[in-house]
Amino acid sequence: METLYQILSPDFLLRNSIYTSVLVGLACPLVGVFLVMRRLVFMGVALPQISSTGVAIALSLPLWLGFNLSEHSSQSAHTLAFIGSITFSLTAILVLAFLERSGRGQPEGRLGTAYVVAAAMSILLLSKNPYGEIGWLDMLKGEVITISNFDLGLTAATLALVIAVLGLFHKELLLVSFDREMAIILRKNVIFWDVLLYLLIGLTVSMAVLSVGPLIAFGFLLIPALTAHMVARNMKQFTVVAPLIGGVIAFLGFCIAYKLDLPVGPTDVVLLGVLYASTWIVFKMVPSKSAARPT
Amino acid sequence: MNEALITLDDLSIGYNNQPVLSGISLSIARASFTGILGSNGSGKSTLIKTLLGLLPPTAGRIYTASTSEPLVFGYVPQAFQLDPIYLLTGFDVALMGVYGRVRPGHIVPPIERTFTHECLRAAGAEEFARQRFAELSGGQKQRVLIARALTTRPNVLVLDEPTAGVDREAKDLVLKSISQIHKEKKITVLLVTHDFAAVRHYAEQVIWLYEGKISNGATHELLTAERMAKIFETGMA
Repeated sequence: METLYQILSPDFLLRNSIYTSVLVGLACPLVGVFLVMRRLVFMGVALPQISSTGVAIALSLPLWLGFNLSEHSSQSAHTLAFIGSITFSLTAILVLAFLERSGRGQPEGRLGTAYVVAAAMSILLLSKNPYGEIGWLDMLKGEVITISNFDLGLTAATLALVIAVLGLFHKELLLVSFDREMAIILRKNVIFWDVLLYLLIGLTVSMAVLSVGPLIAFGFLLIPALTAHMVARNMKQFTVVAPLIGGVIAFLGFCIAYKLDLPVGPTDVVLLGVLYASTWIVFKMVPSKSAARPT
Repeated sequence: MNEALITLDDLSIGYNNQPVLSGISLSIARASFTGILGSNGSGKSTLIKTLLGLLPPTAGRIYTASTSEPLVFGYVPQAFQLDPIYLLTGFDVALMGVYGRVRPGHIVPPIERTFTHECLRAAGAEEFARQRFAELSGGQKQRVLIARALTTRPNVLVLDEPTAGVDREAKDLVLKSISQIHKEKKITVLLVTHDFAAVRHYAEQVIWLYEGKISNGATHELLTAERMAKIFETGMA
């Protein structure tokens, strides 16, 4: 209880970290719902890693070009990192989605390769970058400690944008995802809606990777949505329960990590995993009412 | 016969510029019930996808009767094409048909929701409309999809093997629903099927795809007893 009071106090030193964790916990599952429904779960795993490679390359660029990044403000480094993150996220999601739709090659193999190569590249690049040693390697491991006001603002703005776009265009995005042919027959611009959704996913992933790192990002992208899918009875419940799970677990995870002096990211992801496993056991053990539906 | 609603003029259809069928010239009359028959791979689905605008023709043209607005197609796909992962009720699925009339960023007005209930009733799907779509039986799903096609306020109802994979009782219910809707609403119906008996019973006109050729005519003229005997002898169906 004392920990809770400390964390909720306005003078709490790590308040930006907890606010950002909760915002990421709320935002990622909102787009994660679409990744789960479109059966793009592997993409949800690969994207944050590719995004963090974008961060690593962006931070290495000045070094390769002979500039000393440490002479410039932390804000410039963040801006550079954000540009790298969003460029890689958006390029990756558009290319991978295009290849997925064209049905060429093996999607799982492609995503698996992209994930592992991106992970290795991030570590290699940042290990040779003096700026990386200060904080980016910690970020890649999921240490949510030093969150700037800029990161907090970026996370809040992204969440607001995601909620606004999904709220306004939910029916179009749902139709295009559920029945593409029907959407074309109804003269919907399916490419526009696909690209809008991918932009939203890419932006959310970039924001999450930049704020809290790839581990938490892909934990919150997928596990709350997968858990909510087992519990929810309709789309409304699905889209409300998934971010709620994300937000609550982000808060709980932070409290536990703070109390027990653990890294926040892995604590959050383990908690999400425990919740997913418990929900799966409960819902597989309890016979579903729907089993007796008429044929 | 009524005036032609859709005319195919020397049409070639196929994928990636590879024609499956060529030289298709025929007309579909307004308010007619047309059965499209053919074996697997004969080009039935390619033909309707081209009519629906999902595939471009490889050559030729499709003309529609001149009206102030383009024709609205109510499409009923095969239910298995729709992913059961979506937590949608039968009503949610049927409601999607009205999305063509509701602008992006606007909520579906109550009048369209009431209309969706009417369409579910007309398709005999109202009693299970609150259940999850993925958990409905094959026949129930088809009736929900017919309701969804009706909510588009279609000029033409296009059904892609609506009785595939459903039991006999459900098949009869689905076909009766379609026939009743056709009679009451005077909607042009295009029914793609393998089911010769259904076509003989309900369709007035037949488009028959066989070995890269198309026969087209009145059901009683095309599906004669001799022809049917020949078909079943050669095992084409």
